[in-house]
Amino acid sequence: MADGLGNRLNALRAGRGLTQAALAELVGVSRKTINTVENGVFVPSALLALRIARALGRPVEEVFFLED
Amino acid sequence: MARNDIEYAEHLGRMRARLLPVLAFMFIVQQMSFFASHIEDPARLVDSVKIGAWLVMSIMLLLILTVDGAWLQRPSVRALLYDEVTRAHRAAAARVGFIASMFGGVFLYFLTFVEPVSGRDAIHLLVTVGIATALIRFGVLERRAHKGG
Repeated sequence: MADGLGNRLNALRAGRGLTQAALAELVGVSRKTINTVENGVFVPSALLALRIARALGRPVEEVFFLED
Repeated sequence: MARNDIEYAEHLGRMRARLLPVLAFMFIVQQMSFFASHIEDPARLVDSVKIGAWLVMSIMLLLILTVDGAWLQRPSVRALLYDEVTRAHRAAAARVGFIASMFGGVFLYFLTFVEPVSGRDAIHLLVTVGIATALIRFGVLERRAHKGG
């Protein structure tokens, strides 16, 4: 993961039965953005991280975490 | 955000990612022909056209690298096309283009010790190197971002 930021986006998204496009629609960003964040290619801003967490109905620290 | 906006922006984004390296290639080829037949007199019509073509293409590519485009698209589609990731890629590409231009400047500086280089040629080369490098980097980052998922 980039810059030591891990995420559980894939698992949480799959748990809610959402595709990347569906989550992108909920968050209001492109599917590419969800894809890069999920794969750890892109470190999201605090604003985007909060919006993703809200779309998933989870606290942000459950979606994103610091890797040891 | 509507589903069809997401899909349409995805389609346009992929097209852009494919187009960027092609534009960079076209730009480099255009400059190679420029340097191959060196301009002696900018007042000549044929040379004025060459300089004009380079200027127009350089400005167009610079706009792609600095300004949000897709002016004819819906605001929602534009917002998706130029979201956080795209802006970060564009910034990273501009940084790489700047560094390439600086290395080009250092190279030209030492080149002048062995071969005279006119100010016009030096500027032309530095602009070309900077824009082409940034375009290629932007394209690579965008293509990578679209993969998978």
